[in-house]
Amino acid sequence: MSNSSAVSSTSIWTGGRSPFNVSYGKLMMWIFLLSDAFTFSSLLVGYGAIRFSYAGSTTPWPDPATVFNHFPFAHGLHLPLLFVSLMTLILIISSVTMVLAVEAGHRNSKSEVSKYMFLTILGGAAFLGCQAWEWSQFIHEGGRLDSNLFGFTDAAHEHAKHLKLFDPVHWTEADKISGPVPFASLFFIVTGFHGFHVLSGVVINIIIWINVMRGTYERRGHYEMVEKVGLYWHFVDLVWVFVFTFYYLI
Amino acid sequence: MSNNHTHTEGTYIPETYIPHAESHGTGSLWRTFWILLGITIVDFIIYFAFGASMARNIVFIAFGIIKAILIVGIFMHLNYEAKFLRWMIVLPAVIFLSYLVCFLLIEGNYVSLEKYF
Repeated sequence: MSNSSAVSSTSIWTGGRSPFNVSYGKLMMWIFLLSDAFTFSSLLVGYGAIRFSYAGSTTPWPDPATVFNHFPFAHGLHLPLLFVSLMTLILIISSVTMVLAVEAGHRNSKSEVSKYMFLTILGGAAFLGCQAWEWSQFIHEGGRLDSNLFGFTDAAHEHAKHLKLFDPVHWTEADKISGPVPFASLFFIVTGFHGFHVLSGVVINIIIWINVMRGTYERRGHYEMVEKVGLYWHFVDLVWVFVFTFYYLI
Repeated sequence: MSNNHTHTEGTYIPETYIPHAESHGTGSLWRTFWILLGITIVDFIIYFAFGASMARNIVFIAFGIIKAILIVGIFMHLNYEAKFLRWMIVLPAVIFLSYLVCFLLIEGNYVSLEKYF
């Protein structure tokens, strides 16, 4: 008996148990998320390469602060970063409610899991609503998949440089000239791809939430499905950290 | 690794194996939440306090990486998983991402230089 533990600690790959000590479904979820991380990093690196290629160009890359400077009910004021920070806050809060649902699942507390799942779904829906508003503003101002009206004239650029928080924005349609097209198309592709992940996350969350309330996992004896959908939801939050950094901060 | 006694060779079926999950309490989860929130607020302050510069970009990216480590480690529970699972997820991501970023920095420079020749 004395050397049986020594044998099992050195023979983790000889079969008989999982070297990863994790269920099949969770392992596959991790591998899927790894592949999804590669997809998103390729998109962001592609964004970086294209943005890099406009350095010193006659049609410079638009400054995100002059494009994404709207906030609901504060029309015409210069408010960069505030709205996306609110979206980030919503996603962080929905991430913490998700992880609280997973923790409640470890204690087999059906009522708490269902409460936190519901809050997570609300957070996801709020984020999607914010993104829909952001897209409609962007499209309204002239962002399209195949054109971009955020190439401001020199006068408008000069005006934009000296804008402070809450300043009224003065430029008109005449200030807008065609700018780099990839700025608009990459915005739609990357935030759209992320938004679609959020949408499918909300749908999966709703399915799991219904199962929780119907007692499916209580009968099964464990809430591992909540853990799996939690992994996906946190990944969506993780991707947003980098979309936020590269699209709005830099 | 602690499941040697419950899952011996004869009974182990990969498709149905579910390791026993234990709650670590909510303390570390809330602490992580406050750190994430704090970093986002600092991001926000730096954005308005300093003009655009390479140093500011590096700070933003560093904060992004710290947030990513916290989300993956604590929220996605990877810190508490088995050693082999941790390495299987982290190593390919780190290797592939550094490969992509290095080539972005090298080739991206070429793309912008090309205009002048």
